[in-house]
Amino acid sequence: MTDNGNGKGNAVLTKTAAAENGGNGGNGGSRGRFAGLGERARLRAAQSPVWARPVVMALNLVFAPFGVVADVLRDWWSVQGRGMRWVVYGLLVLFALVLPSDVIGDVMSPHTEWQTLLFFPIGGYILLAIGLNVVVGQAGLLDLGYVAFFAVGGYTMAIFGKYHGWNFWEILVVGVLIAALSGIVLGAPTLRLRGDYLAIVTLGFGEIIRISAQNWDYVNGPNGISGIPHPPNLSEWSFPDGQPWEFLGVAGMSPFTYGALDGRPYYYLMLVVIIAVIIFCKRLENSRVGRSWAAIREDEDAAELMGVPTFKFKLAAFAIGAAIGGAAGVVYGSQATSIIPNNFPFILSATILAAVVLGGSGNLPGVMVGAFLVAWLPEYFRGLAEYRILIFGGALVVMMALRPEGILPSRRRQAELAEGTGGMGSLGAEVGGPDTHAAAVEGAK
Amino acid sequence: MLLEIRDVHVHYGKIAALKGITVEVEEGEIVTLIGANGAGKTTTLKTISGLRPLSSGRILFNGQDISRMPGHKRVLAGIGQAPEGRGIFPGMTVTENLHMGAYARKGDVSKDLAEVFELFPRLAERKNQAGGTMSGGEQQMLAIGRALMSRPKVLLLDEPSMGLAPMLIQQIFTIIEEINRRGTTVLVVEQNAQQALQLAHRAYVLETGRVLKSAPASELLDDPEVRAAYLGGGAGAAGGSGGSGDSGDSGGKAAAVASAPGEAAVVDEPVQKTAPDDRD
Repeated sequence: MTDNGNGKGNAVLTKTAAAENGGNGGNGGSRGRFAGLGERARLRAAQSPVWARPVVMALNLVFAPFGVVADVLRDWWSVQGRGMRWVVYGLLVLFALVLPSDVIGDVMSPHTEWQTLLFFPIGGYILLAIGLNVVVGQAGLLDLGYVAFFAVGGYTMAIFGKYHGWNFWEILVVGVLIAALSGIVLGAPTLRLRGDYLAIVTLGFGEIIRISAQNWDYVNGPNGISGIPHPPNLSEWSFPDGQPWEFLGVAGMSPFTYGALDGRPYYYLMLVVIIAVIIFCKRLENSRVGRSWAAIREDEDAAELMGVPTFKFKLAAFAIGAAIGGAAGVVYGSQATSIIPNNFPFILSATILAAVVLGGSGNLPGVMVGAFLVAWLPEYFRGLAEYRILIFGGALVVMMALRPEGILPSRRRQAELAEGTGGMGSLGAEVGGPDTHAAAVEGAK
Repeated sequence: MLLEIRDVHVHYGKIAALKGITVEVEEGEIVTLIGANGAGKTTTLKTISGLRPLSSGRILFNGQDISRMPGHKRVLAGIGQAPEGRGIFPGMTVTENLHMGAYARKGDVSKDLAEVFELFPRLAERKNQAGGTMSGGEQQMLAIGRALMSRPKVLLLDEPSMGLAPMLIQQIFTIIEEINRRGTTVLVVEQNAQQALQLAHRAYVLETGRVLKSAPASELLDDPEVRAAYLGGGAGAAGGSGGSGDSGDSGGKAAAVASAPGEAAVVDEPVQKTAPDDRD
């Protein structure tokens, strides 16, 4: 997916860059990186108040190796050829296919039904995070009302499916288009704003959509729409009994029959949409569009001076992000059978944003990992009842404190963060990064 | 006339930043705008490159009125700018930054890439380094090189000496001269008046949004008023004798300017030191 025709030149570039960096910076690759961990943990601990030092030091010692592993993995990935990449893609898809099996479910989700969980929140969050990543991670526009597009998609599914009797596939197309249109409608008047101002306007937009739905009789106000039709069955075919299907936990399951009982067909539907969106986003990232977004994110004025039509591309980022959110909404609506305005609260926007930042804004595998954690952790801790959100919050704080650039950041993002444009494009433009001062002093010399 | 700015007014909200500036740049020239902080130098450049809308007046480029043309189209028309505070893309490598410079162009860019690397051998050594991790001087070189990648007819440089060591400033100015010798018209904004005047053919002195004076650069170097206000040399004597001298139209202002050398020096210094931090 990464290595398409026009991305080749780039790939070569990153390879040499990675090789050089491994040679100079890493002191001889991964072993050198691990060796520095103890010293780094001690340095970090020394910056905190005395009483907190042992805790900070311990946290760093325990978790920092994961960060190193992530970096090593990324560098390994960046030097792999085409063949190896396809093997990894194949394995990942295979893994995704057997993911709903009970063997995995018992470990991952002791309190809730794993198959339903995989569809939503996990699958849904991942799709939303990929969409929001286009806006926040690639174009650097802070959108705090992203849930609005999810709602537009959900309500499109409900209105056309229930009132007009359209089938799911038609609505998927229409829903994506309507959501993209709503992205343009929101973006056209507001994208002249930057940073925090844009964030506030988008936040308002998210609330407007939810509150409008609440007060619109056509969609039954706060009661929402129920009885949304399921997608039509694609085929009645089901896996035969016996090995190896029983071992994989799919024996007797009909992956293309959409009923009310089995969550797995919806999971596979979500999986197909996610894969399609990943391919789309990855191709965009390596194209002229992706480079324009990167330029806008790093310095909007400079991008305009290079001849990038910044307004047009910001609008495109908004529309594409919105379209993906809309797709997520349509798929979600088709499974949920009933949606109410309160399915789309502000906190969902914030959670998806947290997923993007936590995972490593701008890097697709990163935001997917982030979305998975954000969706899965609260469910995993469900046994702790009220305390689960506290634990979840604590986990987020610890992760961001130890690795502000996110779990799996792109190398470019790490450089931007070090330079002080922050991890978030124009929002971070005024906020200095940890090394800004040192860099500035050096620059003055 | 390649570039002509006629009676341009620019406002930031209600505050007038430019109050009727007229600047002309002939093809093949190096023209400099000098003046203290807040004189409107950067705003003038931003207005030419299209980052600031103008409230009235006209900008003509190659005889065509570009006052309302969006910034990204002016690059195609032939205006290249290295922005203030360098404005390079920190997360992109040197080569990627340079390729962004050629964004608006079609066709092969390898020849221009080679030319930039020839002008700035330092950049060639650091092709794969992220822009944000380079030193101030290297970033300035990258910004100028990137602007050249669009093959501009006129190159706008905003404070190329900002925050750089004297040796490096000398080096950058030599390169600017070389770029001009190879056929690119240059409009450079500078606080470092001494060096800018030695470099340029003609100069405009800006003060609080107006053109105070315009003359061949060598004349301004000897101009007592300018010496007193911007060059910091022979302040007392030169200011006294030149206060009401040859500049008939701005005699009153001249006195004010001449009385401010010490203050200007005090204000200028710290600003230059903190400059690398200050990107907008």
